[in-house]
Amino acid sequence: MRFNSYISLAYLGIFLPIVLIAYGILPKKIRPFVLLGASLALFWFMSEFLVAYFILSTILIYLSALWLDKLKAKQKALSALAESKEEKKAIKKASKNKQLAVVVVCILINIGILAVLKYSPFFLNNLNLIFSLAKSDISIDIPKFLAPIGISFYTLQAVSYIHDVYKEKIEADRNLGRVALFMCFFPIIMEGPICRYSDTAQKLWSGESLKYRNVTFGIQKILFGMMKKMVIADRLNLIVTNIFKNHEALNLDGGIVALGALLYTIELYAEFSGTIDVVIGSGEMFGISIPENFRQPFFAKSISEFWQRWHITLGTWFKDYIFYPVTMSENLKKLTKKARQKLGRHYGPMPATIIAFFCVWFCNGLWHGAGWQYIMFGMYHFVLISIGSLVLPLSNNVLGKLKIDRNKLPYKIFTIVRTFLFVCIGELIFNSSGFYDSISLLKILFTDFSLKTLFNGSIFNLGIDHYDLLILAVTLVIVFIVSFSKEKGKNVREEIAAKPIFVRWPIYIGLIVFIVVFGAYGGSYAPIDPIYANF
Amino acid sequence: MDELIEILEDIQPDADYENCTTLIDDHILGSLQIISLVAELEDAFDVTVPTVEIKPENFNSAKAIWAMVQRLQEEE
Repeated sequence: MRFNSYISLAYLGIFLPIVLIAYGILPKKIRPFVLLGASLALFWFMSEFLVAYFILSTILIYLSALWLDKLKAKQKALSALAESKEEKKAIKKASKNKQLAVVVVCILINIGILAVLKYSPFFLNNLNLIFSLAKSDISIDIPKFLAPIGISFYTLQAVSYIHDVYKEKIEADRNLGRVALFMCFFPIIMEGPICRYSDTAQKLWSGESLKYRNVTFGIQKILFGMMKKMVIADRLNLIVTNIFKNHEALNLDGGIVALGALLYTIELYAEFSGTIDVVIGSGEMFGISIPENFRQPFFAKSISEFWQRWHITLGTWFKDYIFYPVTMSENLKKLTKKARQKLGRHYGPMPATIIAFFCVWFCNGLWHGAGWQYIMFGMYHFVLISIGSLVLPLSNNVLGKLKIDRNKLPYKIFTIVRTFLFVCIGELIFNSSGFYDSISLLKILFTDFSLKTLFNGSIFNLGIDHYDLLILAVTLVIVFIVSFSKEKGKNVREEIAAKPIFVRWPIYIGLIVFIVVFGAYGGSYAPIDPIYANF
Repeated sequence: MDELIEILEDIQPDADYENCTTLIDDHILGSLQIISLVAELEDAFDVTVPTVEIKPENFNSAKAIWAMVQRLQEEE
């Protein structure tokens, strides 16, 4: 049996209920092992023997963390015997150097495995390209590697664990099972979110009893995620694939390409956030709070705010482990201090910030995939966010002179629409098949734009009909109402749960019927594969 | 504490630093301001602020920032 999606009969109809029943009936002490066994079994179903890479990473961070603990204990013992402050400082420095070496080697091995499995063909291809441009006869054979599912996600979790132990944010865990479960809790294996040890590990190993409220809230969240994935994302897959894969063969114009960018952005959100809802709902059934990965991203008023609301756990990971370490490095701190004296309050920290932004967005692009279109996607955001920070005082000045209030509704709507358009252009680059394809799509978008083809019925030849459009419109309105209510601070789930049973249950049953009737499966529909599972 | 409030007002004016407890949560202090603030804190109070200290609970209010600075001074 092979799993390739959380929104499948195999997972929701067989795997999850079996794990839930086993967890519920077995004693508290056994429950963490049920979760660990289930997680490793699911990993095996998805990646088979490649699970060995995961086990290697887990054992490596486990042993490295214990080694760090030993070094720290030794440092304390030696410091207690030291006779002077200078001697204590020297002991501390020597120990810190050893600890740093352990952390660096551990991180390099983890990142090295990821780099070899995921990026080596990309780098070697580019190297061959350079050789051929230099008219050299050298040509390197491109090896083919298979990577386990979710390697990009668990590698970041591994790095955060060992880094946090080194920085004494958390203590090294002596329980290998708990470390392994934190790394591979079955709902998060495929598409994240990227969890932190301090947020989930203890709770995962606590073996808390099942509770009616947790189970029903989990089911509620799963149903909403299924609706987004099955009714919206799967329905859009055919037209989006047609536009992106066949835009040259079909001679599509800029209007249709713009529509493709818009529909892909909606599809990606529906697929990724829908799957994350299923992930969070699965965790919730066991009483585990998995961190939220989306917070109404399309209400963002700037690109940087968008990334605080979209794939939140990836953004915070880059902020904590790249942005701040780079800006807080000794050299950049000195640069900031000097620049503040010369450039003032706003522009002083800007040189260090822009260097850090570059590192973050280069890594962000590369994390998403081994391809120039992903690096271009990262650089696109780097440029937008850097410009946004640079022109902020100027735009405040202009708005002040024009007497435009940032907090008034028309300006808010303008900034939300502007951000959404920038996001759609970014996703156009993201979903292209390579660097040249992204350039070609952007060229069509900006040089051959026409609204005519959007309204002359030609879109109905691309894999969507009037019925699909109607279903999409209704479902998007439902998603919008829920998002808007959340944006206004309402807890929609609590509100529904507090309603009388004759109101509550028709809502749940209505949602199930809606998914069953209007889900895009069977016939000519081609359900979308989990997009982020490939990253 | 007064020196800290002065630094904060220089970095980001127009905030009620005496009473506000949501400087990070309400985006009054963003990444840019945090970078400036850390540079100033290190200069003014002779401390080193490690990156692990950069978390909302340490920067959400002037009192929390002050508590962090005092703790770091003791640890130095």
